[in-house]
Amino acid sequence: MNAFLTSRPVSDILTGVTNGVVYALVALSLVLIWRSARLLNFAQGAMAMIATYVGFVAIAPHANYWVAMVVSIVAGCLIGALTERGLVRWLYGKPELNPVVAMVGFLLVLESVAAAIWSTSSRGLPSSFSPIDWQLGGRPLALSPFAAYEIVTALLVMGFIAGLFRFTKLGLRLRAAALAPEVSRLLGVRVNRMLTIGWVLSSGVGAVTAVLVASNYFTGLTPTAMDGVFAFGFIAAAIGGLDSPGGALASGVTLGIVLQFVSDYVNANDVILVALGLLIVSLMVRPNGVFTRDAQRRV
Amino acid sequence: MRARLAVAVAFVAGVVATALLARARVAIVLVVCEALFAALAALWVSPTWRAAHPVATRLAQTVMTVDALGVVSAFVSTSVNGNLEAGVSMTIVLLGLSFLTGSSGQISLGHGAFMGVGAFAAAIWANHHAHSPIVIALLAAVVAGAAVGFLLGLPATRLRGPYLAGMTLAFAVAFGSILNAFSSWTGGDSGLQLPTAVSAPRWLVDLLPPSDSPLAAATVWLSQISLVVAGVALFAMSNLFASRVGRSMRLVRDHDVAAELAGVSLPRARVVAFVISAAYAALGGALSTLVNNSVSPATYGFALSITILALMVIGGIGTIPGAMIGGLIFAYSTSSISWITARLGLNPQGNLASQLNGIIFGVLLVGAIVAAPMGIAGAGRQLARRWRERHHLRAN
Amino acid sequence: MQGTVRRRAAALASAGALLMGVVVTAAPSGAAPATPGVTATQVTIGATVPLTGIASQGYSEVAKAANAVFKWVNSHGGINGRKINFILKDDCYGTPGFGCTGNPNTVQLTKELISTPVFATVGSLGTPTQDSVRSLLNSAHVPQLFVNSGSKDWNNARVYPTLYGWQPSYTVESKILGWYINRHLANQRLCFLGQNDDFGANGLLGLKDMRINPVDTIMYDPAGLVTGGAGYFAPFIKKFLSDSCQIVYLDTIPGATDAALASALQLGYHPQWIISSVGSDPVTVAAPFAKAPFPDPEIGALTFTYLPTSTATNPWNAWMRKVLLADKADFPTFTASTPIDGNMAYGEGWGVAFAGYLKAAGRNFTRASFLKVMNSTTLMTPALQPLRYSQTNHQGLTAGYIVKVASATSATVVDPTVYTTSPTAATTLTKVTKLSMTVPAWLH
Repeated sequence: MNAFLTSRPVSDILTGVTNGVVYALVALSLVLIWRSARLLNFAQGAMAMIATYVGFVAIAPHANYWVAMVVSIVAGCLIGALTERGLVRWLYGKPELNPVVAMVGFLLVLESVAAAIWSTSSRGLPSSFSPIDWQLGGRPLALSPFAAYEIVTALLVMGFIAGLFRFTKLGLRLRAAALAPEVSRLLGVRVNRMLTIGWVLSSGVGAVTAVLVASNYFTGLTPTAMDGVFAFGFIAAAIGGLDSPGGALASGVTLGIVLQFVSDYVNANDVILVALGLLIVSLMVRPNGVFTRDAQRRV
Repeated sequence: MRARLAVAVAFVAGVVATALLARARVAIVLVVCEALFAALAALWVSPTWRAAHPVATRLAQTVMTVDALGVVSAFVSTSVNGNLEAGVSMTIVLLGLSFLTGSSGQISLGHGAFMGVGAFAAAIWANHHAHSPIVIALLAAVVAGAAVGFLLGLPATRLRGPYLAGMTLAFAVAFGSILNAFSSWTGGDSGLQLPTAVSAPRWLVDLLPPSDSPLAAATVWLSQISLVVAGVALFAMSNLFASRVGRSMRLVRDHDVAAELAGVSLPRARVVAFVISAAYAALGGALSTLVNNSVSPATYGFALSITILALMVIGGIGTIPGAMIGGLIFAYSTSSISWITARLGLNPQGNLASQLNGIIFGVLLVGAIVAAPMGIAGAGRQLARRWRERHHLRAN
Repeated sequence: MQGTVRRRAAALASAGALLMGVVVTAAPSGAAPATPGVTATQVTIGATVPLTGIASQGYSEVAKAANAVFKWVNSHGGINGRKINFILKDDCYGTPGFGCTGNPNTVQLTKELISTPVFATVGSLGTPTQDSVRSLLNSAHVPQLFVNSGSKDWNNARVYPTLYGWQPSYTVESKILGWYINRHLANQRLCFLGQNDDFGANGLLGLKDMRINPVDTIMYDPAGLVTGGAGYFAPFIKKFLSDSCQIVYLDTIPGATDAALASALQLGYHPQWIISSVGSDPVTVAAPFAKAPFPDPEIGALTFTYLPTSTATNPWNAWMRKVLLADKADFPTFTASTPIDGNMAYGEGWGVAFAGYLKAAGRNFTRASFLKVMNSTTLMTPALQPLRYSQTNHQGLTAGYIVKVASATSATVVDPTVYTTSPTAATTLTKVTKLSMTVPAWLH
């Protein structure tokens, strides 16, 4: 049994899932905004990174890890609301090029401001989970207490969002506002407020993701800590379909596992190439995502 | 008539001055060229002539711009020439991106990588064919850029805005790894050097004013070459914008359903736009390889792609003056930022000064797309129109 | 309509006048001085270095430490009546972004230095960046001295007679480390992880010369670290673990050393690390682990150095500290107890070398006579081995000793014998008996 659990394919699956849940969270965060606002938030990773700095460095530098994490999540939600009210409001109804450019510009501003205030050097967050793999019969199981914490937290967040959408009135209104804004408005749903709430939820999920990424001792918190994760998260969201939260989660985890196998059996240098190839092929075959049902394009 | 005379006098003055400083043997060539340019300029001044000969008008405008900058470049310092060369290469790249976005409404976050394709293609060609003329290396880069643009343009036929943006972003992020996958060709992380320092053709050196600095003689001609290449690119693009292809592209951008009804093949139009745009980016990249005598993969990272996008939006999407303004901003961005740093009394190696570039570009990018989506060129045109209207009213 | 014509004409006319103005002001300047960059009271030199951007961490100190030496010399009367004026141009390692405030275009900056003019470029940093200006500097006859890189590209006097390296080549370094492995760690399984450019390739060459054939040889791409983070290295280190390598040899830059150490730590894998001098500076490598609940994983690693370790009894250590303490402008936080890290010693090393050759060249010199003096003078500098070039050999240093990382801030000498070897396939080492252990009087 030990030999099986520490074998190469099982190790790859475990590592792949650990990476994949983070991609899935980024993808989920992107889908939450895309469904309501038809906008791809290129600044998602940077907003989440700022929330983590606010929580762990600006407001609660000496606090307990969990306190700082809660502060970060609250900060993330606030940043989401402010972004929607202060910037995104100006972009509704404009050509689809404009929000893309604006969010890329916003990404640039956030990363530069973060580096100007907090410098580019890496900071460790005081998480108490050991990054060292559990050993089974003298061989490492590809899972550490820290990785387990990452997976459990990600599952909790996903469960929370799913429950919110499925079982609450707010969730129903959010879904209605996203799918049929005109009808919802007639039925008395405050669509604008639902848009803001969509941003708040998305940025909250983002903040949790960034805290997880930055809690890793080997990367730490830097202004660009989310860049790599964002690229893979976006690829997962695009493959899964920007309209489908379930698809985003499934393709995030799958992407994590596939890339880990590539990295182990082919070459770690080729991971990003394979990800790009998967993206191009899947977009050519199913331009609206693997998990999205074909629908008439909105003209 | 008086106006034409003034133009002629001004140009002849410039010609004579140039000739005085150039070597006698070639002065005659210069004088003849400048006289021809002056004649073109004199024609260009007349609105009726311009209306009757649109292509010749564009030729005249291009020639005058290139000529004026060329004369200036012979007399300014090495560092100004360096800025000129950087700005000219960037202008070519921006023309390409501007065509893609302005004409067909597609967006690319990967133009830094297309530029890199050209930069490496030119260097690889030059390393394998040490004695082939520069023009061939530039053409090789254009072909390579067009080919890669075609490959990435294929999925673009089925994708709408944000998906396409994401795909080109992934290409920009992966570009470094792509170069590494072909490291026997691309030189891995060290990049490539051109086989010998590109030295000026003899006839060109003779055309330049004598100088006591060996460096000036060895490098000023690079500005001249860049300007000529940019002139050709500019002329082609200005005709393309006005042509049937350009018109059908704009139809695709504004009313894609109508375009299809009018018989425009949407996928084909999109791929063609992508190919042309990538080829322009590659030409800009190849030119910068030539100027720098080397190419390094680090230059063509994601940051460059974002810079290119910002320059296009700030300069003005879909216009030729917009691309030139973007090139100018690029050429002087570093020196303006060090000027600001000095004026603000910031520590030049401090955190804030290090990030000033990103902050300023980012704020300008967001501000431009929200408040002035047509950029500086668009705003300038609007101001000019308003001024003209007011002027016109008063005159009446 | 008529109004438009008039305005256009006016614009063109003023453009013409502008051209005239340019022509008038561009009148040829006076005759060039005999030796470019040298006046009666000053020698101007320059360098392109990463003061900001991706490679600036640590490396930004190098040229500043050299400049501290020049400031010290200037404040003690200069050299042969001249002061050294050192112009630093920030080229961000040729890489835009990552907080770069300089101009990431080494070629353009070098052209600006040439037209300043400078007497020579001294201590410009980076293999790809300096490769890109070799032919430019050569054709402008500007000496390119003490390039900060261990590539073999700087020792090619036939093609580039004015180009000089400084530090031992990657091959020489790995040969000396390889000799130590054969002698003290023989018959252990060794795995190699190197950077996929000259650095990794030349380093591997040196090991192969010493008949060491790694069980696994992996070349990494630094760009992978940017997108994949430390996780990018995990599969490499896993492979070393499953192939039961007892020794892991790293030809890595400091960030990559961190990633390798972290990946092994995560697996509970503790091989004997042997790390090239490029990526082993204890202070730089320890930084990311400062808050971690485990000790600096680099402790115990073997590495190589051609400069005195900060804890060694060497008269240069006291002198280097004195010079840095005097430079309040560039080293404001340096105190009597701050450790002199590898980057500072490195910069002071070639700073002393340039000042020394300038002194040896005398009051009247040209570029050619200066280089002739360089080719025939042996200098005492902070490096362990006296510095010596010849007409045909422009390598510079070729010797050093093996040290062990003892704490997060220091390394101790394992064997105080300084060895050298030839960069050719020879498998033997030579002891260096004449060491640079005295600070010349003119530097006091």
